Parts: sequence; C-alpha cells; structure tokens
Amino acid sequence: MSSQLQSIEVRIEGYRDVWVYCEHEDGQLTRATTEVIGGARKVADRVGMKVVGVLIGYNLNDLLREPIYYGADSVIYCDDPRLKDYQVLPYTTVLSDMIVKLKPWAMLFVTSEIGKDLGPRVAYRTRTGLAADVIDLIVEDFVMNLPTGRYVYKDCIAQVRPDFATRIAKIFTPKHRPQISSVRPGNFTPLPRDEKRRGDLVRWEPQFNEDDFQVETLETRRLPKSEIKLEEANVVISLGLGILRDGAGRPRDPREAYGMAEELKKLLSEKFGIKVEIGSSRALIYAQLKELEGLITKDRQVGQTGKTIAPDLYIALGISGALQHRVGMQRSKKIVAVNLDPNAPIFQIAHYCVVGDLYDFLPKLIEELRSI
Amino acid sequence: MIVLLLTKAVPARTTKVITVGGVLRREEMDLVINPLDFKALQAADYAKRFNGGKLVAVSMGPDFKVKPLFTELYSYPIEGVDEGYILSDRRMAGADTWATAYAVALGVKKVLDIHRNAVDELTSMVESGEPREKVLQRAEELYKRNLIPNLLYTDKPGAPEAAVQRYARGQLSREELLDTMKKVRVEIERFLIVAGLKTSDGETGSTGPQTAEALSDLLGKRIPDITHVSWFEVDAETGTLIAERKTGSYFQKVRCQLPCLITILPDYRPDVPPVSRRKRARAYSYRNKLSEVVVWNADAIGADPSQIGLAGSPTIVGPGIDIGGIPVQKFLGVTKVFRSKVEKFEFNGKTYGPFERFQKVEGLPEELVRELESKGLIKVFDLKDLIAEVFSGVLAAAKH
Repeated sequence: MSSQLQSIEVRIEGYRDVWVYCEHEDGQLTRATTEVIGGARKVADRVGMKVVGVLIGYNLNDLLREPIYYGADSVIYCDDPRLKDYQVLPYTTVLSDMIVKLKPWAMLFVTSEIGKDLGPRVAYRTRTGLAADVIDLIVEDFVMNLPTGRYVYKDCIAQVRPDFATRIAKIFTPKHRPQISSVRPGNFTPLPRDEKRRGDLVRWEPQFNEDDFQVETLETRRLPKSEIKLEEANVVISLGLGILRDGAGRPRDPREAYGMAEELKKLLSEKFGIKVEIGSSRALIYAQLKELEGLITKDRQVGQTGKTIAPDLYIALGISGALQHRVGMQRSKKIVAVNLDPNAPIFQIAHYCVVGDLYDFLPKLIEELRSI
Repeated sequence: MIVLLLTKAVPARTTKVITVGGVLRREEMDLVINPLDFKALQAADYAKRFNGGKLVAVSMGPDFKVKPLFTELYSYPIEGVDEGYILSDRRMAGADTWATAYAVALGVKKVLDIHRNAVDELTSMVESGEPREKVLQRAEELYKRNLIPNLLYTDKPGAPEAAVQRYARGQLSREELLDTMKKVRVEIERFLIVAGLKTSDGETGSTGPQTAEALSDLLGKRIPDITHVSWFEVDAETGTLIAERKTGSYFQKVRCQLPCLITILPDYRPDVPPVSRRKRARAYSYRNKLSEVVVWNADAIGADPSQIGLAGSPTIVGPGIDIGGIPVQKFLGVTKVFRSKVEKFEFNGKTYGPFERFQKVEGLPEELVRELESKGLIKVFDLKDLIAEVFSGVLAAAKH
C-alpha cells in the first residue's frame, strides 16, 4: 500500500525585515554587533527584506547612523534618560512593544551578557522561539511530516548552532515570528564601514510599566582592558591540560610549557612579522593552577564558552579537543595538534598531527625554526 | 526566606547522547546534576543561611532518573537543599526553553502557594477567633510539615517558645501574633530564585531569564532577573538584593527589591554569613529537611497542555548536520609524502600524477609506492617538512 502525503505549503504572513539589536559601549557599536549586521544582511538579501538596526539607550545622537554605515537599511531607536544603563525590565518592555507593533520577521542579538538576558525575556514575552549561540543563518524551507500531510514552512531561517552531541543542529522557529537568535561573535564578517550609506532613522517613544524600574544601578566600573586579542592573531598557540605531564607520565611544571609557548610566540612574530597569541582550553583555565596564575586567564579561552577564532595557524598543545573546544577553532586555516593520545578528538580535525610528547616536540620545533 | 534553586539533570557524557528526532532521550542516558548548578547551590545556600528559611530545589525531567541525583543536593557540604520538587510528565518531554520556563515557573508558583496558604490559613483562624488550643494544634501540624517557620511554632530543644505557643498560653495578644504572622507572610513574597549560568547540555543560559518572565506573567508583577552574578548580598529583613554582574566590558553593581532571579557566574565565591544573623536565621528557618522528593505532573502544577513539552515549544530542532569532512591529514613521522614535485608518469600502463611536494601518498598501488620509495621520491613527513610547509608556506602567505 502506498500513500502519497499531501504537500501543504505554509507561509507566515505579515512579518517583515531582519532586526539587529545593536549593542554599544563608550559611544560605539561593539564589534560583535557589526558582525551580526553583516549576518543579517546576508539573510535579508536572500529573502528581499531590509535590515533594521535597533538602538536603545540614552544620548544616542552620535551613534544613530552607525548601524547604517555598517550595512543596515534603517534604524529604530529609543533614547530616554531612564535607559542610560542596561536593565532587563525596561529594555524588554521597549523591545517587546516594538516587536508587537512593527512585526519583524527575524530579530538577532549578539551572544553576550546582554543578548543572553534580553533575548530570552523578549522571546518569552512575545511568545516566540529563541535559538542561542547561533553560528550561521541559512534561509530554507522547514519540512514537517505529519500523518495529516507534509507541511512545508516556506522561507524559515535555519539557525545553526553547535549541538552538544558530535554534530551541529539547525534550530527552526517555523510557526512563530519573529525568529529570534543570539549570534556568537566571530562567525560573520562585518561590512566595511561606509559613511556614504543612507537610511531612515525612526524614533520610538517608550511606554514603561510602573514596575519596570525595580533594579537600580549603583555603580558601573570598567573591567581592566584585556591586551589579549585572540581574534586578531595570525597564529594562536593553545595550551591544554596535557601540559601537566610528559610522555613518560611524569608531572611537569606547566610554566615550562608556557615558557616554551612564549618562546615560540616570540620567534614566530619576529621571524615572520605576524601577530601571535597564546590561547588555552577551558579545562586549563578552570583548573586554576597556581603556577599559571595571571598567565592563563579567562580572556585566553578558546571554545564555545570562550572565543571563536579562525587564525591562519592554530597550534593545539596537549588539548584533547572536546566538541566545545573544536567549535571555537575548527575554522582555523591550518591546525597542528600535539597530543599523547592518538584517539584524542582533536586529531579528527587537525591537518598536522603529532602523536607524541609536547615536551619533546616543542624544543625541537623551536630549534629548527631558529635555524631557518 | 524561601530560596529556590533551579537545577537540571544533564547527560554525564557528551560523547554518548541519545536523541530521537532532535529530542534528547534523557530517560535512556546516564545523568548528573548540571555542574554549574553547584555554584548556584553555594549561592542559594549562602542566601538561606544569611536569612534563615529554606532552600528548595526545583527540577524538570524524568523523576526516576532525577530523584537519585537529588541525594547529592541534600548532602552537599554546609547545609544543602532542604526540599526537592521534580516536575515529571511525559507530556513535558521535548520542551525548549520557552516551554521549560513555563512549567518551571508553575512549579515555583506552587511551592510558594503552599507556604502562603499555610500562613494564610493560620491567620484566618486567629482572625476569626478560633479557640487558641485549636490554633496551636493546627500550627503544630503545619510546622511538622515544614510549612511554617520556628518563629511561629517550634519544637527545637532549648529554643524559646514560638509565637503561636505563647499565644496559646495567653502570653501573646492576638494583635501581636497577627503581627508576627504578617512578617512571615511578607517574607514569603520576598523569595529569591537562583540558577546556574547555563546547563552543559543545551548551553543556552536562556531558561533563567525566561523563568523570571514566565513567573512575572503568573504572579501578575514584573520579576527582574540579574544574570552573570559574581557577588551578591540579600537581606530578607529589608527585602533588598545587591549584586555585582558583568555586562560587556563593565562591572555593574545593582540593587533591586525581592523577589528576583539571579544566575551565578562560575567564579562566584560564597561569603560566610556573620554570627550576628544566626538568631534571625534560626527564627525564620523551618523544622527540618524533607528527604522525600515530591514529584508533580503537569496536572499538579495546573499546566496548560498546549504550552508544555514539544507542543508548547516554538522552536524545533531540525536534522543534525556534519561538522565538515576530515581534512587531508599528515601524521608527523608516519605519513608518506612526495619528497618533491613529480611530473606525470606511466606505470603498468596507467598514468599517475603530477604530484606536488609534500603531497600525501594515498590511493596508489603498493607496487608503485615501493617503486617510488626505491627511487627516493617518497619520504616520511617530518618536522623539517612541517616547518617548510606550514611555517614558511602558510605564514609567509599570512604576512601579505
């Protein structure tokens, strides 16, 4: 018995445009925001929609055209003294009201402390889906086979995110709009800033609830600026827990490996005139080793909870390469991995595999490099 | 103060995950308490010991899998969890963060309702002039069920008698008792919800903020959430919470009124509550731990079936895709490569090549490989080759 499922096309009508929630700091859009505008551009062009930058804050004047310079078609902004500091309740109210009234088709946040707070609340209040930590956005139909038919939801966004199994998953929000995602930094390229780009600025008048201002900011303090710019390095030399033991299984002072990594860094930057930085796996940072205090800090972390990078060369030393680490560096152009364990998952994606002792390999590598 | 800990059972190993159509089959996997939840537990424990009250853990998942894990929460160093509630129902399976937040918020609301109702019941007994003996008897029952704190009734040895007991003896007036009850009642509204930063399976960090939003809907008042908290202080006496959290390149210190939901950063370190708070903490604490975990299904929490599980989830996980093929790999000291460029040639009537310098030798007949080896055209990829190919090749290109 053969049964042909009837194909039923579903289009969710009445929603238009791709919105980007624009984060700003010290009067500038954050770099991650400019990346997301680039990603939004890609999606919007595919479906013939516009990119709209959403700005919320106080004294936004100098900032208003920035989303347009980076590729947005227009800007909706809400400028109010009560919005000076980010607070989840008033910001959720402003953004949710905008969404309900203006019906965007998609809404993108940056995966950041703000995006991961505001995004979920707005999604809940507007009763729609949220895909977090998205690394790519692809426009495609979503097909659902039910006993009653083959439902084809036209033009959805496949929100691609690392799944914790050994794969990548596509998240769809087929029946609800807007489709909300938070996008991980490091996955889209910002468009070049162009002051000649023009677009409309639309002012939004907020209407707050009386209990929106329960949280008051007592103090804001700038975090010490990190000197470490993993994203900009041509070469990242990364250390993992494997540096704690050598090939014979003897414990080693991790400062030895760190010292060699420093030496390699110096050598490469001098010899080739390129930027080299030292990175780390999450495991090594969370081990909080006394010996590496102040050396291996959180801002060096590569991976799902750290930074996503794609340098010309990534050197993984003693990193086993859990999926969470791999999603942060697998787009590196070349990967060299040194690990004692031939079954370490890092070897699944490395171009050059050194199965062996890094305490053996590094001195040889440094010596050879010196001689050329 | 009622401190609620949101916790989740996650797969113990990320390498062995069972999914069916994008939905995790938690019931078929080894589960553990989400590692970051222990940070939240430390924070919740601190809040409870500072203020007194009880620490209640709320979780959603198949109860027969989650229940055994609660032992770890009860026996956690310091005081640990006092009561556990698991929301377990097949209809709740496959929930995304929206549907999870909805169900968890209903569970939290029910926990609060139970405590609120107990105090309200006692209050109306006193107000309607029920005999003092009867009030005492009911207070004892409620106390033994851990629903009213030591301040109202107590059987702790050495502790001074509590309000209802003194009222029964005529040592406390009706107004004085009602006053004390009001204090307890106010404190129930000043609850704190604590959650880990995110779970190790979904890794979204969305359920915390969404639960605050869902609870706002259910209680008809906006409940703020403060995420990424690295330090906080909470005083049930004044109903205020002061917290430090990270947003972008800034640290923000904020103050808010309870109730509130916070999510805890992994770097959080709990403070030690001062001795001066001990008396208060004891008065507002409840009788003992309830080691029997309570399981509620969707009906018990009054969930709308269309809002839970897969049905209530706006997002759908589509088919998984591969992370990309394995690149051409060279193993140092193992992989055979061409020593230098080899032009096209014929061998046993077949044409091979051309081959580039350092090109991996693969897919060639064994006989041919032996022949090439004997001619010295093939070598094992070594450190010098790596340097020549990667460091001189790739990096020289990167420079431009």
